[in-house]
Amino acid sequence: MPPVVRYLLARLGGLILVLWAVATIVFLALKAVPGDEVDAILGPGSNASAEAVALAIETHGLDQPLLVQYWVQLKAIATFDWGTSFSYDRPVTELIGEQLPSTLTLSLAALALAWVMALIFALISVFGRRTWRVMSMIEVVSAALPHFALAIVLIVIFSTWLGLLPPVSTDSLDSLILPALTLAVPTAGFLGQIMRESMLDALEAPFTTSARARGESTIGLFARHLLRHAVLPAVSLAGWAFGSLMSGAVIVEEVFARQGIGRTLLGAVSVRDMPLVIGILMVIAAVYVAVMLLVDVAEAAIDPRVRRPA
Amino acid sequence: MFTLRRTSIAAIAAASAVLAGCGTAAEEDGASGEPVEGGNLTFATGDAEPTCLDPHVGGNMPQKIAGIHVVESLFTMTQDGEVEPWLAESGEMSDDGMAWTFTLKEGVEFTDGTPFDAEAVKANIEHLQDPATESSTGYLAVEHVDEVEAVDAHTAVFHMSEPDAALKESLAQTWLGIQSPAALERSREENCEAPVGTGPFVVEEWNRQHSITYSRNEGYTSAPATAEHEGPALLDTLTIRFMPDAASRYAALQAGEVDVIDSAQPDTIAQARRADGPIQDLVGVRSGAATRLELNTGGETFSDPLVRRAFMHASDIETGVDTLFFGTAERTTSLLASSTPHGTTHDDGAYDYDPQLASDLLDEAGWEMGSDGVRTKDGKRLTVRIPVSTHQSIPAEQSLLEQIQSQAADVGFDVTLDPMDLSSWYAAAGAWEFDAITAPYGKSSPDVLRIIFHSDGIEPAPSGYHANNINVRDEELDSLLERANQTTDEDERAELYAEAQQIIVDGAYVMPLYDWQTRILHRDSVNGLRLETNLSAPWFHEVWVD
Repeated sequence: MPPVVRYLLARLGGLILVLWAVATIVFLALKAVPGDEVDAILGPGSNASAEAVALAIETHGLDQPLLVQYWVQLKAIATFDWGTSFSYDRPVTELIGEQLPSTLTLSLAALALAWVMALIFALISVFGRRTWRVMSMIEVVSAALPHFALAIVLIVIFSTWLGLLPPVSTDSLDSLILPALTLAVPTAGFLGQIMRESMLDALEAPFTTSARARGESTIGLFARHLLRHAVLPAVSLAGWAFGSLMSGAVIVEEVFARQGIGRTLLGAVSVRDMPLVIGILMVIAAVYVAVMLLVDVAEAAIDPRVRRPA
Repeated sequence: MFTLRRTSIAAIAAASAVLAGCGTAAEEDGASGEPVEGGNLTFATGDAEPTCLDPHVGGNMPQKIAGIHVVESLFTMTQDGEVEPWLAESGEMSDDGMAWTFTLKEGVEFTDGTPFDAEAVKANIEHLQDPATESSTGYLAVEHVDEVEAVDAHTAVFHMSEPDAALKESLAQTWLGIQSPAALERSREENCEAPVGTGPFVVEEWNRQHSITYSRNEGYTSAPATAEHEGPALLDTLTIRFMPDAASRYAALQAGEVDVIDSAQPDTIAQARRADGPIQDLVGVRSGAATRLELNTGGETFSDPLVRRAFMHASDIETGVDTLFFGTAERTTSLLASSTPHGTTHDDGAYDYDPQLASDLLDEAGWEMGSDGVRTKDGKRLTVRIPVSTHQSIPAEQSLLEQIQSQAADVGFDVTLDPMDLSSWYAAAGAWEFDAITAPYGKSSPDVLRIIFHSDGIEPAPSGYHANNINVRDEELDSLLERANQTTDEDERAELYAEAQQIIVDGAYVMPLYDWQTRILHRDSVNGLRLETNLSAPWFHEVWVD
């Protein structure tokens, strides 16, 4: 078997393993939450008739043993038949299909913004040596900012006081700025710290000295050597960053009244809409795994050291 | 994790709303003259997005807020609780209470062209009673209807299995609204997506997690008796946006992105009143039970009436409501909302703040003060568990509970507040895992007292939920509530309800707090906005925008 095929098969196996683990953990967690699932189907606190309850239990297979329900769930996921949402009474795939583009747009915009901001943070502190302590502090503070607090502060400043940007999502693109910024700032703070470390290390490395000795200009040094060192950690952490952006989206979508799977997930969890919760988490896990795969490829392209013979 | 986050958002929201106000510039008052036809309006609601727009399915506030523009009811109510005609001209109960005869409006059509008639009413009641519909609120309200007989096109007779004097009031709710029988025959998914009624608007598009867009029903003829405007609505379109976060909802109103918001925070209402700027308020009372703390007499702490009375006197509710709601709500001593008829107030000392009396009562009950400030008896600590639904309890209410917690601590109670999401809250309520609880219950009738205090309500519904949280079985109380629901003699009804309420007050089972409210803020470009009264939902039929 050629090494590339073996590699791909191994990655595919890993992906399936991750998805299976997610499905199992979510299934067990939702079953362990106190309360009755019939509530989720009929609406919490429902005073529905005994017939309606019996009908709901039968329709959704809740009278089956736990192991059977688990098996049915896994089979459904494997065959891409993700079932019908309890609360919306609509196919889960359809609901996710409506919401996913908005969340992906937000996450990608936030990731791009975070990279640019982190790079600027790092560059300022590397080239303006005297400012690095200040920049480092800014980075730490940014990384620690909770999304909901930042969102409200941004709304008050940019929307209420300055009247520059809409406080909630609208049809126009400028309503993407505040939510993307909210997600980007903490991520940029974290990425910036790591980029700076990596660039400072590179500045003290022998190849920098030799490049300088060759008469390389500061800009050339930056473009040809340092940037690569700054981008590497940003790329390898992209998977992590993307994951954190997706979870941050739950809060940001709610505060900015944006469509998205984060907001849908929050609602689904609070009424224990099992098929919808599992469906959304599977999609998030799949996107995460896909991003990790891309990261590996990108790393290999940027850093020759990664390209070891298989 | 989710509950924690919600609480923190709420706290920030309250703080930022104050901050945000600093930037508001007062604008000139818009001159509101003659109604103008045309225009679009956006209403941002903080209530959850409904999962089905057909209010027969399930039956909660979000569905009412979204459904009332499309689906109309047989009756409506005035602010004083008087039942007025809507799709029905009149309704009479027979002397033995076993039949109700309704005369229906003529010449009304559903927006799909189906005529509104007695057969349509029959189809709707049957839809509510069909288990496959999974109706909860509507199902309960027509529980005693045996069969609907379409005598002629405009006369429907409801044959009852038991008398129900509150039936007309129940029929005033959106959850029992009348939909096109032809539309009801579509799949449930289709009907949830765009129910068809006789209302002033038609569902155009439902964009989930974002908005519902409605367009004007050009052939509208069925305005309720309470309306000031006949004929089609003035607005071209109405959009409902779902904005769960209070601070951004208010920011969107200030920025002019939306025209009307609900679930406004008390401080923003107070601010709008002070500023006399472009933002105005509209506060209405939701009918049914007042917001109250119900004490579980089946638990260890509140099985003793002395302890219940001590708890009533331990907290200064009046000052708490006044400060936490910035004067936009008043403390009540009634079990019923002030908009619901036959409620009685109890200012005779039953709910007075008197910490000394509270201490004396606890001494008398044998609870001794411990060194840590918590009373104990036979080695047990005086604990009160209160589960708090972060979906149902607004931040000001949660703060009020925190105040009760701290004041009750002064006399030796150890009160625990457990914030939780809605389904966990229902699970805790269903399992009696509480000593005290606040549970909203809306109904356009004093018959709500029967639902929440009759001993039948102790037995859980098949889904596990029970409406009665005080866990009291009192035959006299049951009988009074049943008799009140079976008589149409209003004087007799008032008397029976008064006696029933006195029993609850004497038993110290419930601590009334304040009226459950609909809290609207709108821009002054919005004219003619009122609350359709049975449960105070904003009504846009008469609204026009400058």
